Amino acid sequence: MTHPLARLAFAGVLAVLGFLLPRLLGGSSLVYDTLVAIAIFSAMSYGLDVILSDLGEISLVHTAFFATGAYAAAILTVTYGFSAWTALAGAVLAALALALVLGVITLRTREFAFSLVTYAAAVVCMNVASNWDFLGGSDGIVGIPPLDLSIGGIELTAGRSAEFWPFAYLLLLLTLYVVHRFRRSRLGQAALMVHMNPRLATMCGLDGNRIRLQVFLLSAVISAAAGWLYAFQRAYVGTDLFDTYFLVLMLTGVILAGRRILLGPLLGTALLLSQKSFASLGAYGDKLVLGVVLVGVLCLCPKGLASLWPRRRAAAVTDAPANTNPANTNKARFPSPVWERGQG
Amino acid sequence: MLARRSVLAGLIATPLVPRPTWARDPIAADPIKVGVIIPLSGGAGRQGQDVSHAVQSMATLINEAGGVLGRPVEILVKDDESTPAIGVAKANELAAAGVAVVLEGWNSPVTLAMQSVLARAGILDITMISKADAILASASNPLAIRLNSANAQDAAIIAKYLGSLSKKARIVFVTENDAYGNGAQQGIEAEFKKAGLDYTIAQTLKFPFAQTDFRVEITSIRDARPDYVISINANEGAGLPAFLQQYAQANVGAPVICTVGTVSPSVIETAGKAANGLHSADIYFPQTEPFASDPENKRFVAQMQKQFKAEPDKFMALGAASLQIWAKAVATAGSLDRKAVAGAIRGQEIPGTIFGTVRFDASGQMQHRHFVFTVKDGKIVVES
Repeated sequence: MTHPLARLAFAGVLAVLGFLLPRLLGGSSLVYDTLVAIAIFSAMSYGLDVILSDLGEISLVHTAFFATGAYAAAILTVTYGFSAWTALAGAVLAALALALVLGVITLRTREFAFSLVTYAAAVVCMNVASNWDFLGGSDGIVGIPPLDLSIGGIELTAGRSAEFWPFAYLLLLLTLYVVHRFRRSRLGQAALMVHMNPRLATMCGLDGNRIRLQVFLLSAVISAAAGWLYAFQRAYVGTDLFDTYFLVLMLTGVILAGRRILLGPLLGTALLLSQKSFASLGAYGDKLVLGVVLVGVLCLCPKGLASLWPRRRAAAVTDAPANTNPANTNKARFPSPVWERGQG
Repeated sequence: MLARRSVLAGLIATPLVPRPTWARDPIAADPIKVGVIIPLSGGAGRQGQDVSHAVQSMATLINEAGGVLGRPVEILVKDDESTPAIGVAKANELAAAGVAVVLEGWNSPVTLAMQSVLARAGILDITMISKADAILASASNPLAIRLNSANAQDAAIIAKYLGSLSKKARIVFVTENDAYGNGAQQGIEAEFKKAGLDYTIAQTLKFPFAQTDFRVEITSIRDARPDYVISINANEGAGLPAFLQQYAQANVGAPVICTVGTVSPSVIETAGKAANGLHSADIYFPQTEPFASDPENKRFVAQMQKQFKAEPDKFMALGAASLQIWAKAVATAGSLDRKAVAGAIRGQEIPGTIFGTVRFDASGQMQHRHFVFTVKDGKIVVES
């Protein structure tokens, strides 16, 4: 399937099937709840995925961006009575502002130091939220109204999970599109070069820190948009949004399927949340399963479960003549799965 | 499982004269599903399991007495893992399962997260234990109901007790840094001022709910040289016993006052000798008057012994009373409708419960009488 129109049609069919998935799975409330959670938390995870896969860094501050989106939604709708659209704009702006500050501070560090600094930043954010009355302090903010994105005479509202599904699904599709376009963009290619071969990037005239900051800002907006929708779905925001629960969900979602795979975080998050919803072994059992799966994946297939996929194309890429394009060099290191064929 | 057996036994034994097929109402045999969301794992896991046992015991008693609206009660228990996001997922699961009511709440943030979801799903939500003031103040759940005493009620009793000991003192707060802990401390400080007590807050040491190593905080307490230490710690499975043990080892000397309802028998059992000498207050003691001679309480205590070989504590009593009060309200309302049942509880007086005749104020808060106690030789000694 190499023709662009054929790929577009295939993606369109997949998108329609995805939208109908809750009904195909029986349409129960549990199915809708689970799929809405998968869509929102996957979108959240894509923010981290961009940093992990394209910059090669492990950010531990992305819960703060997720929380920023949620808090902005809560404050703007509950405290000031603004609409959900304004809240979305506010969530994006607040996340950009926070990412700019954190980016300037953290992006000069690398690897272990970067992770440590981002973790410290997340702890600071959590403590600020816990102790600042404007953010609801330790009580958080209750009473977020149902989502209302109505435009003119078109009513677009959601209170229950089944009503949330179209919005959560659209957010997921938008996120997938943005990440897909980013990886094909000059910024995406530059980020990869800065990550894989910083010296070459410098020789090519790329400003590594500037590119890293731009990617950081993009990733913050993605996670914040997910937080914005989550606030309306849950109707309450509190300091638990900074908890390791969300961080572990993001990290595992990204790592499980494999890095730099467009559908990776979606599949990883879907696996985790589906197990908890439909095949739960209780809290301790679920954690045990998660631990065993993580250890198994990291030890047996460190490039993620997707690396078990048939490697015909990967072998073809590896066998190809030496390519001086650094982006292509990287593709040899991170074989693309079938659903990204034809990219780059 | 025992509850189901009892129900089945009842169903088999009752119809001595079988009714004709056309006269049988199939709906009457359908159980009414009641959801319970509480931590069953982690720091509060043990207490949460106890509470779920107590609810199941009460369900057995209710079913033996004919059920609710002639239908048996079936209890569905979910573990919120003390995590708001998981609490929300479990609330959605119970809504999907078609429960008539959800009895929930150990951690205030989890309750706050769940109550909006349940209200949107049109399910009555009764908070058993969580104490944050915001739970009853939330616009997203105008039909909120809570059984455990409120922070304000608890604060008044702590201030009154301390005031009876000394009018001037240095106080250190060791406070859980969340909706419950901060609200409790604010309430106690406000009561100090209201009572005109000349207390100096020498230090406030805040810690996260899951913390179990308090050695740094205890060093700070020693340096502050307080007359009294007020502990606000709802992590009764691990955090509070750990604090008490480490505090006793450090031999600081200042008496520890634990906020109302945080010292369950399991805390004393886990902390061992380190619990001796601590002061607190609570709202329920199964073997102390006026509860000891109350027939409803005696029935509940006996059922707990029979079904789970356990003596109930305050949390278990609150769990069981939640179900009992809901069942009585449904009988009064004559329906399972959320508004009708809430209306039969909020602002009403309900007789014949484990707590005797109980009264709810208009905001849905159950009123309590508090009993101050001291731990002596590993036993709770009620003072007043």
